[in-house]
Amino acid sequence: MVKTSCGMCYGTCTVDVRVKDGIIVGIEGDPDSPQGYGNICAKGLSAPMMMYDPSRLNYPMARTNPKKGIGVDPGWKRISWDEAMKLLTSKLKECIERDPRGLYTVGSPTFPAERAFNILCFRKAFGTPNYYTGGGGLHCGNGAHMIGGIYHASWSIIPDFKYCNLAVYWGCSKGHGAGHAANVAAKQAADAKARGMRLIVFDPFLSTQASSAEEWVPIKAGTDAAAALSMVNLLVNDYNLCDEEYLKRKTNGPYLVGQDGLYVRDKTSGLPLVWNIVDNGPKAFSSAGIEDCALTGDFEVDGERCAPSFQLLKEHLKKYSPEYASGICGVPASTLRRIAREFGEEAMIGSTITIDGKVLPYRPVASIYFRGSQGHYNQAWDCMSLVLPNHIVGAADVPGGALAFGPPVHLGYPGTGRLKYSVEPDKDGLLVARNWPYSHLPYPPPEPRDPPQRLDLQDMFYIPTYTTIMAWDSNEELWEKFKIPYRPDVMISFATNQIMSVGNPRTLLNNFLKKFRFIVSFNIYSTEFEEAAADLVLPDTCFLERYASATTFPTVGVSCHATGLGEWVWAIRQPIVEPMAERRPMIDVILDLSERLGLRDEYLEAVREWVDRAYGGDIDLKKAIGPEEKLSFEKILDLVMKDRFGEEKGLDWFKEHGYLKWPKRVEEVYWRAFNDVRVPIYLEWIIRAGRKSRAVAEKYGVPDLVDWSAHTALPDWRPCPTHAEKNPEYDLEAFYWRSALHTYSMTMQNPWLNEISQNDPYTYTIQLNTDTGRRKGVKEGDFVWLENPKGSKARGRVHLTDGIRPDHVAIAANAGHWGRGLPIAKGKGVFFNELIEVDREHSCPVSLGQDICVKVKLYKDGGA
Amino acid sequence: MVRLGMVIDLKRCASCHTCTAACKAEHHTPPGVFWAKVIRVESGKYPTVIRQGLPLLCMNCAEPECEKVCPTGATEKRPDGIVTVDSSKCVGCRYCSVACPYGARCFAEDWKDYFTGDRRPSSAFAAHSRKMWLEESDRGVVSKCNFCADRIAEGQNPACVDACPCEARVFGDLEDPESEVSQLIKKRRGRQLHPEYDTDASVYYLPAR
Repeated sequence: MVKTSCGMCYGTCTVDVRVKDGIIVGIEGDPDSPQGYGNICAKGLSAPMMMYDPSRLNYPMARTNPKKGIGVDPGWKRISWDEAMKLLTSKLKECIERDPRGLYTVGSPTFPAERAFNILCFRKAFGTPNYYTGGGGLHCGNGAHMIGGIYHASWSIIPDFKYCNLAVYWGCSKGHGAGHAANVAAKQAADAKARGMRLIVFDPFLSTQASSAEEWVPIKAGTDAAAALSMVNLLVNDYNLCDEEYLKRKTNGPYLVGQDGLYVRDKTSGLPLVWNIVDNGPKAFSSAGIEDCALTGDFEVDGERCAPSFQLLKEHLKKYSPEYASGICGVPASTLRRIAREFGEEAMIGSTITIDGKVLPYRPVASIYFRGSQGHYNQAWDCMSLVLPNHIVGAADVPGGALAFGPPVHLGYPGTGRLKYSVEPDKDGLLVARNWPYSHLPYPPPEPRDPPQRLDLQDMFYIPTYTTIMAWDSNEELWEKFKIPYRPDVMISFATNQIMSVGNPRTLLNNFLKKFRFIVSFNIYSTEFEEAAADLVLPDTCFLERYASATTFPTVGVSCHATGLGEWVWAIRQPIVEPMAERRPMIDVILDLSERLGLRDEYLEAVREWVDRAYGGDIDLKKAIGPEEKLSFEKILDLVMKDRFGEEKGLDWFKEHGYLKWPKRVEEVYWRAFNDVRVPIYLEWIIRAGRKSRAVAEKYGVPDLVDWSAHTALPDWRPCPTHAEKNPEYDLEAFYWRSALHTYSMTMQNPWLNEISQNDPYTYTIQLNTDTGRRKGVKEGDFVWLENPKGSKARGRVHLTDGIRPDHVAIAANAGHWGRGLPIAKGKGVFFNELIEVDREHSCPVSLGQDICVKVKLYKDGGA
Repeated sequence: MVRLGMVIDLKRCASCHTCTAACKAEHHTPPGVFWAKVIRVESGKYPTVIRQGLPLLCMNCAEPECEKVCPTGATEKRPDGIVTVDSSKCVGCRYCSVACPYGARCFAEDWKDYFTGDRRPSSAFAAHSRKMWLEESDRGVVSKCNFCADRIAEGQNPACVDACPCEARVFGDLEDPESEVSQLIKKRRGRQLHPEYDTDASVYYLPAR
């Protein structure tokens, strides 16, 4: 029995793996690890079928067919590792000589710990700013994560299942067997339901979570913000159900805003002013002795008229009457009124609870969003609108409310005091996350690069983690205008299937992937991506054959801890068996490459920087590893662990025990009450940051790069392009959902999961409302085409159900494989991405995240 | 007298199919054989529609229809209530499959490799699976859930009970009024499926709503 962290999704549950005669024969949850407490899911249990899949890549392979394209046979030819390394090294050397920025790195979000060392550190060492994420890919959450970061210093939010009494879900599945801390969250959610927590789910279809909820509210895709803003409007303007204390002390609600939309600042300190009610005058927000300040009213400071930002929000929200919102989102106004009132009343504003002797605000309600509600044109503001209810009633990181993943505060491992990090205010008093693993902090906004360096222009914006600009039709023109001197040269991909999980595959391939001179992919299968675009494929190990550093840290990231009180856990991933055939862990190849390319010091420095930022601490790897010593990942891990946990707890200790755990503290879990940080209910800084980005765009002659009018301070609902579709032929809104049985495109090749999916009525079908089906003469099991206004089509089998809006069709994501290297997955399910576009019109103007809803017409196969 | 049984709390169940996979992993059942599964039952019209996930397994009935129709005596009820199939006596006639009101019985002509559909195992793991399956069930016979009798003999729970991430399953003695299963059935009004067939199933469901 060997303990390791499961790698079938990013939930990273600790598992005990049974080995018999050198073969992995079974996997079960580790009962004592906080990451799972013995529970496991269908994906984890099916891992041996991935480990021993005869379709796994076992040898390096080179493309012999120079033609690239979807459906093309690459003509793989087995080559030796020696040949492969020589080829790769020479291509990378040429790239360095031309311009190292020509290297594009892509990594899967399913393995953030491996990705950090395989991709992020190597990218930095190599000297390229270019990176994006495949796998979950640009399906992923530019809007969701950054809004999570701005309001909760975390990747996402989840209800405090222990105390929450009413959770409202917007297109998310927390606690239903998938994703972040999947199995602990599932238990916590089940406990909450048994305790009596009510769940209301807004979703266009009767998702798993909606079907187990007390109420399903069928909402039109991409309209959640309208519904949420109407509910906030009711709380603020009609029901007066606001937590004024929270708004005054924990938000920028009292900050005075002038006619230009910016804060009115103290002339000497430069700090934002609030209106002190006691002496009836302006004062810097952080001044001593402000016993009470105004949230509403009109004031004058130095002759300028101004008002608290809460007053502006209050006025702004008035247009979101329930009737107006209802016309957009298709939810009856009476339903919006009822849910808003329930949410406000259930919040028990003003109440407290004592936990471990600490008196804390008690707000047992949570408004929770994730992937579904954020996959839209307006995603940054959609997510802001959905997180806002929590901050109106003060239900943020307090018992019962919406909690940050992580949490983002850790007061240190008790044995050493190391691994310590917290949140802090910036000079304007706003929340700054300090344990953030990604390219830039959610706040404060980074200065835009002038000119941008990245091919996706991400570095001239302030919200995006990455954009799709590199694949727009106009990419060459934009690179030209922004004076970017290099072009795509070499791509290194780790565990991604970009053809199936980024966006429209043809657009990505033709506009972007085909521009590379050389693409190397480290993967466990030859997927549609390798077939269409890769020149060299290297056989990676799967999670059962390799090490990973810390699958649960950094805590605020993808692989988070379970929420609420309980235990922290640092768990590793370790090889259970030797890699089969000629598979090699990608990290070993990366270390080898770093040495071959003379980038050893640069690589160690990048690791130091990443490890210290993400894991909290300081360690000088260049000192700890001798200059002549061959780089070894095990040595690096040993150093990192001893640095954090003390000399006796190096890699050997972790190999034996699998994980180390210690108790969470109230001050960490419910950190909001203990830290003097505020969140912006009025995003004043977006006005300023947006102006800076816009100035860069204008300077280089691209004034309409995005719609800059969205770079404003107050939340609005904005329609997706699909909402404006006028042709009545395209009468169905298509959207995708993520099945708990699968992790993006990786698991459909698993024959157990595939067979369960085949028996499940939803995973491989197009869900269509029963009445709509009847109207269109479509019966259960019929094959139909969905076609978008541009003529892109997807074919699939219909499942008729009453559990979907009559004007929508639902498709499970990442299905419909066709790759030769995936014989089990091939031909199963429906390929949704064929229907979506990768362009400016489908990119959020603030977060640059991708809009993935699309209007389609439906007709029977063989019909027209 | 002990009567082993299971309680499945539909309020806790998230229809995640972990039980399905746990059973597969425990018993190495070949393609097409599912001793445990989850079906969805939809009722009502949009928008007032209810979809209930329903995890199924052999109900190990106190009055098993399968036992009554078995011509060779392969199917037997043990004293602890578990209904077993002796594969050495089973002739694969499948009368039991027809008689079972719960569709709990599976028939496999032979063990087949999941990847190749072939009798020859494609990997060491598949060879292990084949061995485990043939030890447990042989070929050309009917098989079904037996509450993981081997695990129970070692004092463990059935695999699906231990794996369920929602902790929706409880296993225990239905005859003992103080057992957790008995208490749950009493307090939460647990119900058997298809009581009209008078099978007196040993699996009880607690209502979701």
